[in-house]
Amino acid sequence: MICDSDLAREFWELGKSDSCPIYDMHGHMGRWQGIYFPRAETEQMIGTMDECGVRLLVFSHHDALLAPDIGNRSAVEAVRKYPDRLRAYCVVNPNYPDRAMADIVTYEQNRDAYVGLKFLPDYHGLPLTHGDYRAAWEFAAEGELLVLTHTWKDSELDGPATIRTVAERYPRVKLLLGHSCHGDWDAAVSLARDFPNIYLELTAVFDDRGVIEKFAGEVGSHRMLFGTDLPWFDPHHAIGVLLSAAISDEDRHNICHRNAETLLEPFLRANMLEEAIHDHETS
Amino acid sequence: MADKSPEPTHFFDCNVFVGSPAYQRPLLPVPKAGALLAEMDRAGVDRALVWHIAQHDASPQAGNRLVVEAIRPHERLTGCWAVLPTQTRELAPAPLLFRQMREARVGALRIFPSVHKFVANGVSLGALFGELVDRRIPLFVSVRRGMDWPDVYALLEDFPDLVCVICDHGSWGMDRLFRPLLERYQNVHVDTSQYLLDGGIDDLVTVYGERRLLFGSGFPESYFGGMMLALRHARISDQAKAAVAAGNLERLLAGAEL
Repeated sequence: MICDSDLAREFWELGKSDSCPIYDMHGHMGRWQGIYFPRAETEQMIGTMDECGVRLLVFSHHDALLAPDIGNRSAVEAVRKYPDRLRAYCVVNPNYPDRAMADIVTYEQNRDAYVGLKFLPDYHGLPLTHGDYRAAWEFAAEGELLVLTHTWKDSELDGPATIRTVAERYPRVKLLLGHSCHGDWDAAVSLARDFPNIYLELTAVFDDRGVIEKFAGEVGSHRMLFGTDLPWFDPHHAIGVLLSAAISDEDRHNICHRNAETLLEPFLRANMLEEAIHDHETS
Repeated sequence: MADKSPEPTHFFDCNVFVGSPAYQRPLLPVPKAGALLAEMDRAGVDRALVWHIAQHDASPQAGNRLVVEAIRPHERLTGCWAVLPTQTRELAPAPLLFRQMREARVGALRIFPSVHKFVANGVSLGALFGELVDRRIPLFVSVRRGMDWPDVYALLEDFPDLVCVICDHGSWGMDRLFRPLLERYQNVHVDTSQYLLDGGIDDLVTVYGERRLLFGSGFPESYFGGMMLALRHARISDQAKAAVAAGNLERLLAGAEL
């Protein structure tokens, strides 16, 4: 049954937990050039979320990441189709600063769909400190948005040293380290200790035994976030890892939902207020 | 509340090692079989096919000896040895090797061509691997450690009937690389240790059947529970879950003539 805990029993029996909903803070959607996905379409992903007890997925669409001619519109459409299950990061591709600026200008119009920005420096080829990211950083800082950025050990574009620079520069941004500087776990710990606005996002970390315990012990589970790259990785695998790791059910609650609920509260609350105003005006 | 899933099948893990890696100290080392069994008990894993990291890092001779010592007191553990090309005569020749395996409760073999500096094809391995094919002795290869995809393709081209389990095939989506092998070679299997793909288990079993996928955790580098939970709640039949969790490995080991 993986381990002796109430949550383990619940997930083992049912595949999900009423008391421990999952907020997946690092998802995607749609096709990707280098991998076969059995379940890449929106409805298929919702099916997976239902089975695993994922209440909300915050994602960036693959089209927005790798097809600048399509951009973010697929993500906005998906959120508006499933507003109770999905939120999106607005992808900023610094190779097209004019389009990035257009997305920022129109961000307000899509505020019901977005919770922040997504950067993918190792793929887009420019460091997070590059000038073509500046407008996006400043916009995120002004709005105190979430920024989920890909991070990886040794990368000059999004590795620990670069993260330290932008964390110092933009303390108002809630900075989510996608993959937690994958492979340089000590650096991820140092960054999270030094900057209260940094969170350790766990996509692909689940495949390395011991890191969950290290982060929980050296930083604290209140700074860790559940993520799977869905439709890449099965959420049940990630949940099974959290149940395997030598941490408490309280830690698991923090990682699976409490921390995300706190981070998302301003954005979901704003959306709910707007929906209430809209409902009032149309009634 | 959702319906309860069926009671768990028992798990026989095909991809576990013990020992202390030489090149990097792991965060949570498992140097001895006792520690492995404690983790298996906590997770609910019944049995494991075990190799020793020294087989890769140090030498097959040292590692093979260590794995025999590790499993000897524990019936729940079955050993897996590493082998080399026969031309350098470093290990026992084929008939004796198989008898030693049987006596030591070693049920399968591995190769690590890249670090052990040989080419995994018929020129290097023909004398030994012809026997493996005839005796249906399973060979485990790891894409994470010791074999790249062209090596696996070349090996199977020379030994198309080899009973082979491709382990650690990578978490970043390798279906386009291993599915052609499943289609071409009927004795090829893959393990679950890095098959994190959402819907992957269901899709693979639907297309290729339940006999081609084996539960493997990749412990101690990965946790037992990740793929256990994924398999338990996969959209496949209970019969298929039982086959993947344990039955397929039991069948492969039982089919070997040592």
